[in-house]
Amino acid sequence: MEKIPEKIEESKKLSRQDMAFCLATHPGSERVVFGSSDAGLHEVDLAQENPEPVSFSGEHGHSSYVTGLARGSGGLLVSGSYDRRLVWWNAETRTSIRAVDNAHEKWIRQVTASPDGTLVASVGDDMICRLWNVADGKLVRELKGGHATETPHHYPSMLYACAFSPDGELLATADRVGHIVVWKVADGSQVRTLEAPVMYTWDPDRRRHSIGGIRAIAFSPDGRQLAVGGIGQIGNIDHLGGPARLRLFDWEKGETEAELESGEVQGIVERIHYHPGGKWLLAMGGDHKGLALVVDTATNKIVSETRTPANHAHDFAFTDAGDGIYVAGHNHLTAHDLVAG
Amino acid sequence: MNPIPRQSGCRVQDHEISRRAFLSHSLAVGSGALLGTSGALHALDEDSLNAQLRSTGRSVILLWLAGGASQLETWDPKPGRPTGGPYAAIPTSVPGVHISELMPQMAKRMHKVSVIRSLNTGDGGHGTAAEMMLRGRKNEAALDYPDMGAIFAKELGRADSKVPGYVSFYSQSEGRGNTRKTSAFLGARFAPMNLDADMMPPNITRLDDISGLDHAERADLRDLLSARFARGRENETLKSHAAAYARVQGLMSSEELFDIEKEPQAIRDRYGPTLFAQQALMARRMVEAGVPFVRVARAWWDSHGQNFETHAEMVPELDHVMATLLDDLEQRGMLEHTLVVAMGEFGRTPRINGSLGRDHFASAWSAAIFGCGVQRGAVYGKTDEDGLTVAEDEVGAGEVFATVLRAMGVDPHHEYHVGVRPIPLVNPGIEAIRPLLA
Repeated sequence: MEKIPEKIEESKKLSRQDMAFCLATHPGSERVVFGSSDAGLHEVDLAQENPEPVSFSGEHGHSSYVTGLARGSGGLLVSGSYDRRLVWWNAETRTSIRAVDNAHEKWIRQVTASPDGTLVASVGDDMICRLWNVADGKLVRELKGGHATETPHHYPSMLYACAFSPDGELLATADRVGHIVVWKVADGSQVRTLEAPVMYTWDPDRRRHSIGGIRAIAFSPDGRQLAVGGIGQIGNIDHLGGPARLRLFDWEKGETEAELESGEVQGIVERIHYHPGGKWLLAMGGDHKGLALVVDTATNKIVSETRTPANHAHDFAFTDAGDGIYVAGHNHLTAHDLVAG
Repeated sequence: MNPIPRQSGCRVQDHEISRRAFLSHSLAVGSGALLGTSGALHALDEDSLNAQLRSTGRSVILLWLAGGASQLETWDPKPGRPTGGPYAAIPTSVPGVHISELMPQMAKRMHKVSVIRSLNTGDGGHGTAAEMMLRGRKNEAALDYPDMGAIFAKELGRADSKVPGYVSFYSQSEGRGNTRKTSAFLGARFAPMNLDADMMPPNITRLDDISGLDHAERADLRDLLSARFARGRENETLKSHAAAYARVQGLMSSEELFDIEKEPQAIRDRYGPTLFAQQALMARRMVEAGVPFVRVARAWWDSHGQNFETHAEMVPELDHVMATLLDDLEQRGMLEHTLVVAMGEFGRTPRINGSLGRDHFASAWSAAIFGCGVQRGAVYGKTDEDGLTVAEDEVGAGEVFATVLRAMGVDPHHEYHVGVRPIPLVNPGIEAIRPLLA
């Protein structure tokens, strides 16, 4: 599906009591694995009329919210959690293989796999990105020193997001105050830093704390553009009542190509994926409810914004054909059709 | 109720010496905010409580967690439950007691702290709940009650003191108005000195074009004329007028008390660079100087969205400030005559909303207390496994209020009078939480 979708229509919904924070697809099927606030991993086959989730099990597991999940090579899944632990899983048997305790000193926010599936990257609030060998679970490299542990206002910062470049040679990380680092995977050196401070709202007068951060980051399929997402310039930071934000960089030049904000639909962007063809990107998130923004990458403009029927979306992935998405969110896992004009 | 290792009796006599020493070289302050009085009420009688109590040098520091901090991310975690959120519970220095992993410093000091986990205060509105928690009851339609600070300013403040009886730091604007009606029928004499924008009271500096000698001579002249005018006149308003001038003069001569730069850098560094931390340090300075009641408001905890991010940001600060304040008071020998209370107007819902927020919740929440007159290492009350209801030892705003009064040696059933109407400090039937009292 190369055409820019005009509608996002919910085709299937699995209502849940828990929150689904992350997901991984199973190529060649409609099976989706998601990480949950119940500290578990669950798989559901959305091809079934009445899909029933099946839980993963085994010697190793999590004890808190599962916030990161990536599919590596060799039929392996790697999950990360607020419990600071990474767990390796056999995707077919749905059983755990190994765990790395204290993979981070603080809460793990995201786990993502390299394009060839041999590495996974994890980011946590210790402000370090760690690269792990998918096959044996060994630590390959630490990418550290790029993100301050404190905000300018002397509060703990958070390292929310990471993404590999399409060729797997680079990895970008982004934090709460809008600082972005592009790293060279091979040696852990910093290639470029970028800033999107608009994603961080510090209220010095009325409430004296902050909200926001870059929650989503993605390279375009050609590797030229880097998109980050979050929320910014919120009047009342008690709520997610501000415009969803995207900033598009020509990262090699260090230039901002576009600063985009939603109109009527408000909330925070939790995940960005470029469509495989590269002609458009989709950003999802929300406040209480879900939101979806479609950006035409030829014009770098938001061409549609949708309030999704389901609640806040935490993660999504394209279907194999690219004509639909699976969404993990608050109290739901859903499938949607992308309807072109 | 956990076993209580030991008590924390107030040894007041020891403190008197250090206080005098402190006063002798650092202050003689008064409060411009205390100008004015309400002479029509019997409540203004200076001898309404015993003079001995005033001589004890006891003080209260209220850490006012405005907006409502989450009990689940502080004192009453429920890890692994659907309502529990992502943070773990960690063991504390009291066997069997766990608190949120966001509070590792207080966890190490838990044997010096008491926690109430069974507050059911029944009011989820910021304004009305704040008024209630600060008074121990709701105002009547035709009568506002004085708040905790005004009562302690009256009951613990000395008539001859030149320091303010009640100082309030509230720098954030959100929720500040909920704390403004303070002294009610006690009158402006016991209202707080509000330090909102700055830690230094405004306009206490002598004008440049008035010399020190001129300033002193003006004061002498005013005193002479006032004394002559008052001769043969028995009038509360005149007395109050003279006292207010004395306090202002004291205040003007004591800039140093309000100047945090006078505190050693090492102490300031221990507290940390945030405004809340610096104000907590100022509270310690105030108490050390003899201010009976200091409120340090830390707003704004109202995390309807992104509760876990907000608490990951704010609770470590609270943890550090409370732990540093506790250590500082203890090392100075002040913990035995200073009571520290940390609470807000309510807690937050166990249910997590779609924005990963928690909303207002007054049915089962927590407060913490340590220092003068209260037990150490005690946990009072219990909530159910999801934190939805109080399971044991339910208490309300009145009981907390009565406990604070009793811990400071003030009888909660003492009565003021508005006209001929007796007004007890707490509503009839309300008692202090006895197991928490030392």
